[in-house]
Amino acid sequence: MLTAPTSLGIIFFPAYDWAISPTHPEREERLLYTQDQFREEGLFDIDGINEYRPLRAEDTDILRAHFCFPTIEAVCTESHRISAGGAIRAAQLVLKGETQRAFALVRPPGHHAMKVVHGNRGFCNINIEAVMVEWIRAHSGIRRIAIVDTDCHHGDGTQDVYWHDPDVLFISLHQDGRTLYPGSGFLHENGGPKAAGRTINIPLPPQTADTGYLKVVEEAVLPILEAFKPEMVINSAGQDNHYSDPITNMHFSAQGYARLNELLKPDIAVLEGGYSIKSALPYVNLGICLAMAGCDYSAVREPDYAPSRLRETPDTLAYIDELCGQVRDAYFHPEMPPAKKEGHFFVRERRVYYDTDNIIEKQREKLKDCNNCQGYRLIQTESSSILPCLGVELFHDSCPVCESEAHAAFTDKHGNSLVAQLMDHKNRDYRYRNQN
Amino acid sequence: MQSTQNSKHGMRIGIDIGGTHSDGVLIDGTRLVAAAKARTRHDDLLASINLLLTHLLAGQNANWVQCINLSSTLTTNAIITGLVAPVGVLVSGGPGIAVENYRIGSQFHHIPGSLSHVGEETSPIDMDALDAALATCQADGINHFAVIGKFSPRNPEHELQMAEPARPTAQVLCCGHQLSGRLNLGRRINSTYFNAAVWDIARSFAAALKDSLHAFGLQHAEMNILKADGGTLPLARALEAPVQSILSGPAASVMGVLATMPLQEDVVLLDIGGTTTDIALFAGGQPLLEREGIAIAGRPTLVRALRVASIGIGGDSYIHVEADGVHCGPERLGPCMAAGGDAPALMDAFNVLGRAKFGDVALSEKGMATLAAQQGIDAKELAQSALSAAATAIETALRGLIDEVNSKPVYTIHEILEERRIEPRQLVLIGGPAEVFQPLLQEKTDMETLCPQLASVTNAIGAALCRSTSALVLHADTSRGWLYAPTLEVSKRIDRNFTLEDAVTEAKDLLKTDMAEAGIKLADADMQVTQADSFNMVERGYTMGKNIRVSVQVKPAVLGSTKPSSAVEVVHAK
Repeated sequence: MLTAPTSLGIIFFPAYDWAISPTHPEREERLLYTQDQFREEGLFDIDGINEYRPLRAEDTDILRAHFCFPTIEAVCTESHRISAGGAIRAAQLVLKGETQRAFALVRPPGHHAMKVVHGNRGFCNINIEAVMVEWIRAHSGIRRIAIVDTDCHHGDGTQDVYWHDPDVLFISLHQDGRTLYPGSGFLHENGGPKAAGRTINIPLPPQTADTGYLKVVEEAVLPILEAFKPEMVINSAGQDNHYSDPITNMHFSAQGYARLNELLKPDIAVLEGGYSIKSALPYVNLGICLAMAGCDYSAVREPDYAPSRLRETPDTLAYIDELCGQVRDAYFHPEMPPAKKEGHFFVRERRVYYDTDNIIEKQREKLKDCNNCQGYRLIQTESSSILPCLGVELFHDSCPVCESEAHAAFTDKHGNSLVAQLMDHKNRDYRYRNQN
Repeated sequence: MQSTQNSKHGMRIGIDIGGTHSDGVLIDGTRLVAAAKARTRHDDLLASINLLLTHLLAGQNANWVQCINLSSTLTTNAIITGLVAPVGVLVSGGPGIAVENYRIGSQFHHIPGSLSHVGEETSPIDMDALDAALATCQADGINHFAVIGKFSPRNPEHELQMAEPARPTAQVLCCGHQLSGRLNLGRRINSTYFNAAVWDIARSFAAALKDSLHAFGLQHAEMNILKADGGTLPLARALEAPVQSILSGPAASVMGVLATMPLQEDVVLLDIGGTTTDIALFAGGQPLLEREGIAIAGRPTLVRALRVASIGIGGDSYIHVEADGVHCGPERLGPCMAAGGDAPALMDAFNVLGRAKFGDVALSEKGMATLAAQQGIDAKELAQSALSAAATAIETALRGLIDEVNSKPVYTIHEILEERRIEPRQLVLIGGPAEVFQPLLQEKTDMETLCPQLASVTNAIGAALCRSTSALVLHADTSRGWLYAPTLEVSKRIDRNFTLEDAVTEAKDLLKTDMAEAGIKLADADMQVTQADSFNMVERGYTMGKNIRVSVQVKPAVLGSTKPSSAVEVVHAK
């Protein structure tokens, strides 16, 4: 019988009683065939691979990562709490040393959920990786974390959450935004003014297959990780880059995905998208599990796997070759356009569209440019469905001046915000202030 | 309540062949009539059975015996000692973990060919490879075969295709889908292999047993074989699935407790012996089953079993002092010193502290004093530390088991929010040293500890009063328009409107009919639905049909409650 050289905890939570809608890709049986495959393989009979149940994310867990308006309940259901709780359980297993690695095979996904949440975008409400990362920071001395997002769609939510955080390296490998939702994730999106080069986007051409993906990992991702020296590596393991996925155009395979995880050696993997529930997920998930546990995965392949039909054209490979160089530059020599400034504040104004819930959000973000600390930020946000709200985030190393300014902004009763939420990482104070 | 067809007279015999002792009881209705104990003769189990029957039936009318339930070590010992028939194992794998990892036996052959997780053929069976494998088996003189296909509970076709050419030379041929409807290729391979390997042993024993029963005038009685899940299987069925009879010993004890004392709550049962303590859990008075199945000879199987955890703490666990303190067990070096052993054991510690008066207390005191002197401590202090180490080990194990059961994975939001946790407040202690352990565990666990005065033949009472158990898995796919129950080899067409309720009814009917064929009448209340799921199958945004999974079981239970009467003396047969 098999023994896992690296112990692996799997939080398998298929949420068989939850769907966005009856025929939506994000529906009840998404992980059904994966579970059948796991059972038939006897995955949990492998010595060193064990199954765990998820925790439930509490209010504080969510408020550490998100500004939820008008309330947590309005944007987050039990399913999201348990999915995020699955990611938290994965982190807990690794932090406590119960298992060396962990894989949160949970749904619904989260990587399109941004810092501010008004509803569902791209099938996501709560960013389960971000909730997990902030849980890790609150429960250990770990700060420096790398998230490698291999979902086929740009992880715009995770990018947004960590845009200004120099201690989180976010790398997204995805199908070029000119050809796929959400239409972002270009090379020049390279991190906020105080976190240059900490956001790395790798937009891959359609039909990229195993060779191209693994080339990018070996020639761009791994050298960057080596330089960043994270205390922990997380893989946002979306599986919609598979050649059989119905809503994307890539050619990645179970073998490729397993090899990717063997190279990346993530401490934690978290399932994101992936909607080829019969033809891809059972094999890709099995490949990831075996690779993370250090087991032989050579016989894991899709029944219709034909690598010769999936190969990239020479042009595509040449393009990817060039891309690898540009990606390395994005980390080692980031070129930042001058940021817009008002006084001591960097200012960003934008609109965010929530496709699933059809909400348009208008946002104005001010980041204090402080010489003594990372500063603080104020996000004024309103949407097509609610009046202006205010989010105040105070970073863990904020200086006393920034701290008092941020608190003053939060308690200001003369502001025009309907709801204000404080995210004080320094004092670990996470709460709402409601104005009448 | 489940009943049997021939119930003119209600006498039942229960026999439990254990590692050292064999116990037997004769029960009339729920009244204990006779009890006997004999040493187990491993070289001749039948002799032990005959000896017990002679005593049980003395002065009784054998015609009144309605059934005989037997728990024996026959198949277990054959597997553990490796004295089994050589088996040719033919496995079709497919994408996933490489089949080679499941290798078992000397003739293990991977036959290319595969089915997907929904049971569709993704590549055909390689008939040339199959012929070559069979030729190799033939050259080796093999005529027992185990045929296993990946995903055969979804579709038995590949197993049947592989079995076909083996048939002419096969004396024994077992297919995986006949043994269990549950998914798990590795366990299916092990189960099917063991089933073929012990087939002959079970048959020849049954034949000899039948002759023997005839000689006792018991030819009209139903013969049932006990299983590890605390239920029985009619002999004819047991001969088709002899692997089901492995490791039934702990189940006999657990069911015996259930038959002799009322248990309604969440309860922990500790069966304390000389070498080990077995821990079992009851939820609302019902014994808990293993999630997947029991393991034997280090190999996990799909054989259903009561969940029993075993730890190396018992009266003879030897006491040793290490750098980090006093330890007790898990090894046993021999009997305790009070019983003539060479090294101080847990029972000696009880003796030294005046908590027990077992055997020769002076020998315990001498041994403990010697070990204590080596460590420069007082004998009583050493004894106290040993007891506390043993109590901690037991408590840790039982908490671990409770946690494990309570943290079993669930797959719906509803289950997470509405789950019922098992929170035992009662600890029932049985076994030889139970009474001695009682105050110790009472202090340690904060649970109410009971030490019922059970007959030394409780396990045989359990065997006698077990009822038949069974399980059935049904899978229906309305888009393909068919339904399949692998173990019964039932497949039939269904229409697009087939519902989950229809599937549950169908599964119950199939199980009921099958049990009736074996002579057992089931009421609806005897059956328990353990899974009933229906999923929409959506392709390209359209609902194509439903994927339905139903599991039904007859849960383990006892047929009545027996009060062991002091009027019945346990005869020690020689």
